[in-house]
Amino acid sequence: MSAPQPTTLSDRIQQIPRHYVYLLLAGVVVWQLLFPIRLPITPSVPTRGVYQAIAAVPDDKLIVITTDWDASTQAETGPQTQSIIHACFQNKKKFVIMNLQPPMGVKLANDLAQEAAKEYGAAYGVDWANWGYKYGYENVLMALAKNIPNAIGDDFYGTPVAELPIMEGVTDIHQVGLVVIVTGLSAMTEMWIGLIQGPYKTPLAAAYTAVMAPIYYPYLDSDQLKGMLVGAKGAAELEVMVDRPGKAVAIMNVQSWAHVLIVALILLGNLGYLFARGRTGGRQP
Amino acid sequence: MWFSRLLQRLFPPAPTPAALYLYLAFALAGSIVLIVALHRLLGPRGRRWLIVFVTFIAGLFFGLEYFYPVHGDPEKNFLTDWIEPVSVMLTVVGALTVGLGIYSLFQVHGRALAQRRPGWHNSLAFFLATFAMLVFGLWEHYLHLPQPPPDVLPWPKVVYEILFNGLFAPLQAATFSLLAFYIASAAYRAFRVRTGEATLMMAAAFIVMLGQVPFGAWLTSFIPADSPAAFFRLEMLGEWVLRWLNTPAQRGIIFGIAVGALAMSLRIWLSLERGTFFSEQS
Repeated sequence: MSAPQPTTLSDRIQQIPRHYVYLLLAGVVVWQLLFPIRLPITPSVPTRGVYQAIAAVPDDKLIVITTDWDASTQAETGPQTQSIIHACFQNKKKFVIMNLQPPMGVKLANDLAQEAAKEYGAAYGVDWANWGYKYGYENVLMALAKNIPNAIGDDFYGTPVAELPIMEGVTDIHQVGLVVIVTGLSAMTEMWIGLIQGPYKTPLAAAYTAVMAPIYYPYLDSDQLKGMLVGAKGAAELEVMVDRPGKAVAIMNVQSWAHVLIVALILLGNLGYLFARGRTGGRQP
Repeated sequence: MWFSRLLQRLFPPAPTPAALYLYLAFALAGSIVLIVALHRLLGPRGRRWLIVFVTFIAGLFFGLEYFYPVHGDPEKNFLTDWIEPVSVMLTVVGALTVGLGIYSLFQVHGRALAQRRPGWHNSLAFFLATFAMLVFGLWEHYLHLPQPPPDVLPWPKVVYEILFNGLFAPLQAATFSLLAFYIASAAYRAFRVRTGEATLMMAAAFIVMLGQVPFGAWLTSFIPADSPAAFFRLEMLGEWVLRWLNTPAQRGIIFGIAVGALAMSLRIWLSLERGTFFSEQS
């Protein structure tokens, strides 16, 4: 049975066919990609927290960036990872990439790190390294807390991590000065908090997709997370802080106007609803 | 430490690559013999008790190690030295599930292809994609390219990059990008101010949606950032909603989930959970 055809104006503005909505959104996206209207971006407190946590890591300690994301969330997590890597290089902090799930993230993040390393003249194995994808979730974390070279074994390229110069003096989690979780998956943060941040007091910071970030505000409030990047917004803010405006800034232009369109559509739908309600004498139409 | 020493005694590092493959072959053969023997010798009741026992011991080990008081420098208890080898062992066991997953996928799609079931071309695409990524992924890995990679890449690496960065990643990203269109359409259709609660929710949604983008900040940028009214700037209001309204609600949910997870873990640890291997058998 097909839905009744809208007859009045109030019905029509409540029932704009969905393909028009899709077209409008696609139009806004293309318009902002081709002719961006750049608006100023001011770093928020959670974003500043991530930057400060990176800058505060002692020079003799490692930063571990866990890249638990894949192409499905790459629009947000890719620029987040990239700006975190820039922040590490600019502050001359040694970092390693690792990945617990999904395995795709480690290759995507490796490409980003290689690109940034070229810019800063940083050497693989000396200034940064890639521990690769490690299967086993909690088991990996428990093992690396006690003995990193044994738990990690080989790096992304098959070299034993113990042979990398960056790993000199690194035996267990006490030589890790910060863990930055970049993820589009839930439960990763809880694992790191339960098994690493809680027992060993290793500082944590995180970068999440915008939809999952609200769940993790309590950890920010309790100082279990030193900072947090919220979706593309957080990435854009960090890009501004490290003076490398890139993909996230471009995405924020698009997202700004896409949000405006959605708000306008919701208002329009409700205007129709209120008109219809007025017509029926206050009853639900 | 004695446990680590015992492990090193029992499983010394392979002196040569040939010895490593020999050890692997022995381990594989030994595992198969052990599994077949257990399967033959133990009836359903015996298998059940074996699994219950192993599950209980594993849960007890990790629970005790985490909660038992620690002392000394570095701080540890009588189980701490076991954590690293046991965790590595579990990682190895868990990695076998990857093989199980591949076997299962090959079985399902192989049957669909052999019997020309509806949608068999999807199964064909699965096999082509799997083998292409497998061959070029391994090939690229064993090229052992120097770091940073040379400017001119060997062709297997180029093919791998095309498959990964040119096909796989954009396909996955495009699939998930479609969500934006569905969300826009669903928000327009579903968000109606039918009740007071719905109106409040919409107001909060508008504040957060606009507060999270530069447009929102620009809209209220006429309010000076250092004035007492700065709180009413949209980005500040959005942050306030997330930190002061959202946080307590999320904290409550997290506590609820944690209590539920604790109860569920206890049931799994004691093999009381219905729907596990045992209740399916019975």
